[in-house]
Amino acid sequence: MKYIFNFPDIGEGLEEGTIVEWLVKKGQKVESGDLLVTMETDKVVAEIPSPKTGIISSLFGKEGETIHVGDALVEIEIEGVAGKEAVKEVEKGSDLEAVKEEGAGVVGTLEIAGNSAVLSGSTEGIGTIEVTKETAKKKVLATPVARAMAKDMGVDINHVKGTGPAGRVTKDDVLQHAESTTQTVSTASSDTPNVENKLVEVEPLSQIRKTIAKNMIRSKHNAAHMSLFDDVEISELDRVRKQYKVKYAGEGVKLTYLAFIVKAVTHALKKHKALNSEMDTENDKMLYKKYYNIGLAVDTEKGLIVPVIRNADRLSIREIAMEIQTISDKAREGKLNMDDFKDGTFTITSYGSIGGKYAVPVINYPQAAILGIGGISKQPVVKNDQLDIGLVLPLSLTVDHRIVDGGEVSRFMNTVMSYLANPVSLIME
Amino acid sequence: MKFDVIIIGSGPAGYVAAIRAGQVGLKTAIIEKGKIGGMCLNWGCIPSKALIESAKLFRKISKDAAKFGIEGIDKKSLSFNYAKAVKRADVIVTRLTSGVEFLLKKNGVEIIKGEAKITSENTVTVNNRNLEAGNIIIATGSKSVKPKNAPDVVVEVNDLFTDREIPAHVVVAGYDAVAVELAQLFSVLGKKVTLISPADTLIPLADPYLFDHLVSNFKKQKINIVYNTTLDDALQAYASNSLDINGESIKCDLLINASPRQATLPASDVQFELENGFLHSDKDCQTSVSNVYAVGDVNGKSRFAHIGSAQGLHVINKIKGVRQKLDLKKYPINMYSIPEMAQIGYTEPELKADDVDYKISEFPLSANGKAMTEGTNEGFVRILSDNKYGEVLGVQIVAPHATDMIAEASAYMQLESTIYDVANTVHAHPTISEVFMEAGFEAVDKAIHK
Repeated sequence: MKYIFNFPDIGEGLEEGTIVEWLVKKGQKVESGDLLVTMETDKVVAEIPSPKTGIISSLFGKEGETIHVGDALVEIEIEGVAGKEAVKEVEKGSDLEAVKEEGAGVVGTLEIAGNSAVLSGSTEGIGTIEVTKETAKKKVLATPVARAMAKDMGVDINHVKGTGPAGRVTKDDVLQHAESTTQTVSTASSDTPNVENKLVEVEPLSQIRKTIAKNMIRSKHNAAHMSLFDDVEISELDRVRKQYKVKYAGEGVKLTYLAFIVKAVTHALKKHKALNSEMDTENDKMLYKKYYNIGLAVDTEKGLIVPVIRNADRLSIREIAMEIQTISDKAREGKLNMDDFKDGTFTITSYGSIGGKYAVPVINYPQAAILGIGGISKQPVVKNDQLDIGLVLPLSLTVDHRIVDGGEVSRFMNTVMSYLANPVSLIME
Repeated sequence: MKFDVIIIGSGPAGYVAAIRAGQVGLKTAIIEKGKIGGMCLNWGCIPSKALIESAKLFRKISKDAAKFGIEGIDKKSLSFNYAKAVKRADVIVTRLTSGVEFLLKKNGVEIIKGEAKITSENTVTVNNRNLEAGNIIIATGSKSVKPKNAPDVVVEVNDLFTDREIPAHVVVAGYDAVAVELAQLFSVLGKKVTLISPADTLIPLADPYLFDHLVSNFKKQKINIVYNTTLDDALQAYASNSLDINGESIKCDLLINASPRQATLPASDVQFELENGFLHSDKDCQTSVSNVYAVGDVNGKSRFAHIGSAQGLHVINKIKGVRQKLDLKKYPINMYSIPEMAQIGYTEPELKADDVDYKISEFPLSANGKAMTEGTNEGFVRILSDNKYGEVLGVQIVAPHATDMIAEASAYMQLESTIYDVANTVHAHPTISEVFMEAGFEAVDKAIHK
């Protein structure tokens, strides 16, 4: 008997969900309770278990597709009479596939999408790199006419949502896609006279972009942002860095200013606990954290991600430098996993290497503060009543003013600056 | 008793929906007041095709036997036993209807014999039983409009395939497949046949190209055609085994009522919106009352069994949340004329009306080896395709097995294929289907065997 399992209501008021990943294949045998599919809704990412034991005879919808509650999800052949031999064959094949997929770990990275405390919660940049590659490799299911039409109209058929059987892209889908794209363009730029379609490039929001948007707004809504700017003269730090840089380089370690800054910040956080805390308004409590996980905002092609250096206070500057290097390599290769983003307590955003002196960074909510590092430059400074050439590092600190009072902000900044100005003190404590 | 689905009528629309409903785990009942299988199995498609096969064999033996090298047949003693041919049809019908009954039971469908009455949008009574249903599917089909005070000479199609004598002069009133097939059947059996059509065509849905072919065929077979004359007109002109139409006297020993049919509406306390006497239904076959669907002839969308079945499946899928689109243009229509005719998709007048830039590619059977071995050369495959992308927009076939060959075109249409796909699809040799590929070559560039 064939049993059609509809997408169940898995949360209050839930109307639709996106298929993140199929965990089963057509022809695969499933036990009741085996996981069928990972669905992402606006609230959670959930794995949906099979209600029946049997053989999957159809999957409705493909990965990335949105389906409504009550729509058919899978068809399960219960007690498949359709030839046991055939079933066995398929089973063999699908076992191999399953093993392969485990290695990819895509599910793991996406599990807490949209539901995370850290900005990097969605980190889809990492997980999805693999997903996207895989889809691109696969030939999209489309009818011959749809292909010819898409080619002719300059529509990328990979972006067209198919409504045909098994998600096949039909002629109508291409027409509708073309039409909706044109419509979006004309409304978006309605105030520009004589709009040509080409003036606006329309792209669907990526998951990472959605998460960034959500987290930014959440931070701005919930925290009372206040910023402080200052400069610190770091000629001494520069001297120390240069002294060790070459030596470390020989050992394969790239000694950056950032490693010193991370160290300075962790020392300062120990002295100013409010900046390493979180406000729990639901329970009327302050949570002062005795661990120091420093998030580093990293600019990637896909968007902003914030991997974390764990227990930075227990690491030497050399170890921090190595850790920074590992993180940035992983970020570039898209190999960061969920653990690399968890439990940050304070964030540093280092935009200066790209450009800019001061900024008003947005707090990585619910953390209490974020430190922005501007570009280091040679500037006239007064030393011992003499005009001198100094190496100046501009700092921008944003705090949640609900948690940290103005005086403490300045005191924290002073502490950070004094460590940076006298790098020897960094190792004295 | 509460059901997920109650289906009224067990013709090809109803019973297919019932089996599918059972397959997908819906608690299902099907109600039938007459015979399981409905018109199609009992009085329509199946028995008529059985008789047409008898007639074709009769014709082949009497006309072609000697040519094919079969000797010893005395044409004078060759005769057609209509009653025996009907008996053969009966055996087939019994086998098929009991097969349907078996399949219904196997899939857990409760079969209730009796006349249903819809008492509310989710209740039905039958044999004084009250049944509750999540969904009701009306599949009650259509019926012939019987003329009032008709003389004995008038016979309904349902009464035709019985143990009876067919007299020498037969008049068929009606158009479309049923009327055309009957006219040709009796003509082959040696009767003098006149076909009276209520319109100026014989096959309203078909491309005029097929119509023209049919008319020239009728001419060869000496079947008389009268247009724009209804059964009522004919009856007015009837007197003592003769019709006096347009100053012409047509002998008429038997007048078969194959006129356009009307919906068989179920008894109901619920008011349904009607459209030309048929149950109005939307693109998903839902009637004006939610949770009540109409499939098959009763909704007036089509008169073909397979389209009724497709609608039945569509509704069950819809109930189970599977979203699909019913596109009538992607269903073939068949005619069991001699030779057979089949068509799918758009016709030329439709394409012209829609201002479509199309082209026609045709390849005849006359150059086809397999057709020659079968002793025929009449027919063609004709493809209408869009000039821009080469999409196959319509196909018309005249061939001995056109009704089977059209399945290939159905697949092309369903997959939105192009003439390039047709041309690239290798067809085994020798087959009549090769003509299809040749028409594809012709569409892309040039046929090989032309």
